[in-house]
Amino acid sequence: MLNIEGLLVHFPYDYIYPEQYSYMLELKRTLDAKGHGVLEMPSGTGKTISLLSLIVAYQKVFPLEVSKLIYCSRTVPEIEKVVEELRKLMEYYSKQTGESNNFLALALSSRKNLCIHPEVSSLRVGKEVDGKCHTLTASYIRAQRHSDPDLPVCRFYEDFDAVGRQMPLPAGVYNLDDLKDFGKRNGWCPYYLARYSLMHANIVVYSYHYLLDPKIADLVSKELTKKSVVVFDEAHNIDNVCIDSMSVNISRRTLDRCQTNVETLQNTIQKIKETDATKLKMEYRRLVEGLKEANVARETDVYLSNPVLPDEILQEAVPGTIRTAEHFVGFLKRFLEYLKSRLRVHHVVQESTPQFLKDIFDKVCIDRKPLRFCAERLRSLLRTLEIADIADFSAVTLISNFATLVSTYSQGFTIIIEPFEDRTPTIANPVLHFSCMDPSIAIKPVFQRFQSVIITSGTLSPLDIYPRILDFRPVTMASFTMTLARTCLCPLIVGRGNDQVALSSKFETREDFAVIRNYGSLLQEMSAIVPDGIVAFFTSYMYMENIVAAWYEQGILENIQRNKLIFIETPDAAETSMALEKYQEACENGRGAILLSVARGKVSEGIDFVHHFGRAVIMFGVPYVYTQSRILKARLEYLRDQFQIRENDFLTFDAMRHAAQCVGRVIRGKTDYGLMIFADKRYARADKRGKLPRWIQEHISDGSLNLTVDEAVQLSKHFLRQMAQPFRQEDQLGLSLLTLEQLESEEMLKKISQIAHQT
Amino acid sequence: MDEEPERTKRWEGGYERTWEVLKEDESGSLKATVEEILFQSKRKRVTESHGQVRLGMMRHLHLVVDCSRSMEDQDLKPNRLTASLKLIETFVEEYFDQNPISQLGIITTKNKRAEKLTDLAGNPKKHIVALKKAVDTVCLGEPSLYNSLHLAIQTLKHMPGHTSREILVILSSLTTCDPANICELIKTLKSLKVRVSVIGLSAEVRVCTVLTRETGGSYHVILDESHFKELLMLHVKPPPASSSSECSLIRMGFPQHIIASLTDQEANAAISTSGADLSLGGYFCPQCHAKYTELPVECKVCGLTLVSAPHLARSFHHLFPLQAFTESPTEQLQKDRFCQACQGELKDKSIFSCPSCCSVFCVECDLFIHDSLHCCPCCIHNQTASY
Repeated sequence: MLNIEGLLVHFPYDYIYPEQYSYMLELKRTLDAKGHGVLEMPSGTGKTISLLSLIVAYQKVFPLEVSKLIYCSRTVPEIEKVVEELRKLMEYYSKQTGESNNFLALALSSRKNLCIHPEVSSLRVGKEVDGKCHTLTASYIRAQRHSDPDLPVCRFYEDFDAVGRQMPLPAGVYNLDDLKDFGKRNGWCPYYLARYSLMHANIVVYSYHYLLDPKIADLVSKELTKKSVVVFDEAHNIDNVCIDSMSVNISRRTLDRCQTNVETLQNTIQKIKETDATKLKMEYRRLVEGLKEANVARETDVYLSNPVLPDEILQEAVPGTIRTAEHFVGFLKRFLEYLKSRLRVHHVVQESTPQFLKDIFDKVCIDRKPLRFCAERLRSLLRTLEIADIADFSAVTLISNFATLVSTYSQGFTIIIEPFEDRTPTIANPVLHFSCMDPSIAIKPVFQRFQSVIITSGTLSPLDIYPRILDFRPVTMASFTMTLARTCLCPLIVGRGNDQVALSSKFETREDFAVIRNYGSLLQEMSAIVPDGIVAFFTSYMYMENIVAAWYEQGILENIQRNKLIFIETPDAAETSMALEKYQEACENGRGAILLSVARGKVSEGIDFVHHFGRAVIMFGVPYVYTQSRILKARLEYLRDQFQIRENDFLTFDAMRHAAQCVGRVIRGKTDYGLMIFADKRYARADKRGKLPRWIQEHISDGSLNLTVDEAVQLSKHFLRQMAQPFRQEDQLGLSLLTLEQLESEEMLKKISQIAHQT
Repeated sequence: MDEEPERTKRWEGGYERTWEVLKEDESGSLKATVEEILFQSKRKRVTESHGQVRLGMMRHLHLVVDCSRSMEDQDLKPNRLTASLKLIETFVEEYFDQNPISQLGIITTKNKRAEKLTDLAGNPKKHIVALKKAVDTVCLGEPSLYNSLHLAIQTLKHMPGHTSREILVILSSLTTCDPANICELIKTLKSLKVRVSVIGLSAEVRVCTVLTRETGGSYHVILDESHFKELLMLHVKPPPASSSSECSLIRMGFPQHIIASLTDQEANAAISTSGADLSLGGYFCPQCHAKYTELPVECKVCGLTLVSAPHLARSFHHLFPLQAFTESPTEQLQKDRFCQACQGELKDKSIFSCPSCCSVFCVECDLFIHDSLHCCPCCIHNQTASY
């Protein structure tokens, strides 16, 4: 039981880290102010439990102020971890207060992870599961079944629909497996049960996409109450998630599939016309009425707004040119032909959305207005035609979304048509990139709708750039350091080889033989002194390939292999997970291993290297994004014009956040320890170093700024010996681990106030 | 004294000294230095060992010495191998001094193989000769933890159940080249109740952590040579016997040393049963009259354990250890701040006093008294004075 500025918080552990207390303090202030916050706290210091216990306490005390917590995480395992922490907290609550809890908390994931239908759940791919589920549960399919009882049916959904809606899910904490169990016991569909229960649950844990991707958010999250607290965990890449959710890539294959889609549509319309013409007429009448319903809903503030559905079109009726089904199909065909003609280019084209609209008007006389209604019109048509398997129509849906977006936003997007990939200029593979450059478009509705949005991660530095690129005004921005009983991280910047050659991955010295050799000797020396696992990150796959090939020729690889086994990450996910598995085995049985991987790859983002799985991480070079990409160039230009962020600032920020993400993989808690080796002399510069998270920065002393390989080896050896000394919990107590009494002492409170670093 | 010449040659020690400078930089109030933690554990060792526990006094210890390429590293002077072998020599002497009825064998591992340097035996001389010879071995290849443990088990598993079976590994390399899954072997070790301890010369290796945790041994990594010695000496003390080990009364023989004079008619020069040396005198097994030149030994003929009474007496202090001294802050001390033993001024923040005679000692003397003397000098002094 902690007292945080008057709020009593139940904390389920006996001990608390000072930074957790400080974090809760800042969080409480954010909630009090009903504003948004950006908080950075190192991983492994119990961010999740601090967040949960404070917000739950807040909900209990002020049920009218905050009625719901929406916790967004990135992957399914992370979601499950959060729910387990929550369960611990809730158990502690009921033990402390002695009364049963009336809190409902649940996790939501895709059908793939929740389906219990024996046939459907046996499918592996998410899209297939969704499609199959749809053929069993769509409303018109079920309506047809009244006349034709032989059609297949999902009894779980039927049972849920018949009974489940009247009986709310009993209070408790439901992880994905709990939902499945509950579903099996009652014969209800867990997925729809969870989606339905979302509305009255106190805590929801799900993936980013349910809020940020407009297509999914519209289905799942639009009715969530305004008085919610939204938490984005591991949010250092949130701008990229936003951009990806709004961008569209159209290749020739998409267009071909779209072509068949349109043909099917046409045939179906023909068929329906012969059998049931009234249906189409009904639809026509509805469209004349306009999208009034949605408009009313939005005005009364019931729904989360959808960026794909702009405000203006709600007030209008669907324009006459695409109102009838045939006309709309004709319209789609014309649009498709136009896109095909655009893909037939031989040189790169880049244009803005107004240019594109003008061109399309000149060439095929398509106006801006009908384009804007395209997505909505298609949805209505699919509904009317009663087409069950929506998954098949993904191509035409994509095109119609593109049409709506391109005609709605005159700013923040760019269109780039590339006839071939840069790497293979001889193979024609035209792609139209409709690329979003402004992440704030996708996240805007979230900031507008919800009372408090918390963005948090282990690596968010520099903090001030996030509010700028996401275009919001936070009330708190704070970075927390890690209090340590022993210095368990050792960041070293290796700037020179033993022969004094400057180490750098910059473009001019990329092919330099001396640099590659020195990088090799760094890895070789490290492999001899670091126990168990080493993770090495390169800036790109290409760079890794070049270097590894050179090392092989020079015999460096052979020398390394005497000390440790070598595993390599590849773009292939299956291969990589195999390599990871073997890597862990080698760390486990004492052989030792090195994992060569790539910044921005799968390993750098989602895999933790706790304890012996990562005793050292070596960052070869600064992981700048591939700057020759046209999409990136367009985005940089946009950032400069709109947000006054200089190209270089953004590039450095982006590189450093990825570097921090990579090196942060090795420290996953206070008992863990690891070396962080930055092998590039550019890291020593203040502009790079200053952008690392504060908890790493404060351990970089002036003495470790520009080391040679030998010096780094000596320092590492000493560090590893120190860390291998026995370390028990008692050693942490009072310093980095506090009991309640220690926490309440005057002196400690003063210390704690220094942990949070406001910006 | 080793420090002095090094300090004068700064250009040589340059690399190794950088960390000292670093450590001074980061003396922030939050960070307790590792030394502080180490000091605490040092103390703990003294206090911990005092309790009424049954000790495994008859020990069978296999010493595994890594002789792989990494032993050529020069962070211990002149190199790891020479330094370790020298320390092991003193360890062997100390071991037999404190555990007279125990046995020891040495295994070396290099180039993915394990070899026996000496068999399990109770004679320190043989081991020391072998160790002296081993200084010249060439270090090459990788060690094999699996092979050396396997080799050690082969002999240890035949030892009687009441004895404590131990393996102590001195591991310098950070990798091990194993022919099979070591986890299986760890299970076997556990079932055979073999206690494996490891002293690492470079850093903490996961597999050793698991190995020692599972088998109930200890795992330490050295900081420098003196720490290495300290860690080795930890293993001189007999470990507590596991509660499940068999216990039974053991028959022991206490042969007298008989020096036969040449004039004696009955006496014949005889070859000792264990060695090839021909001598007149020796120890004769009370059961079968086999002759031995040295004790302790297990009779080759009838299997009786032969020891001499002083040997047993020497392991006596393990059973009745000196009480732990009480620790108190220096400020509380009213009297002169001098250590009763070394007469040095008490500068550290805490002092230690003997609970029975209330004499005050410094940390170093406290450790010395408990580790070597095994009795409080002031108590003894008082006793003799009263007579």
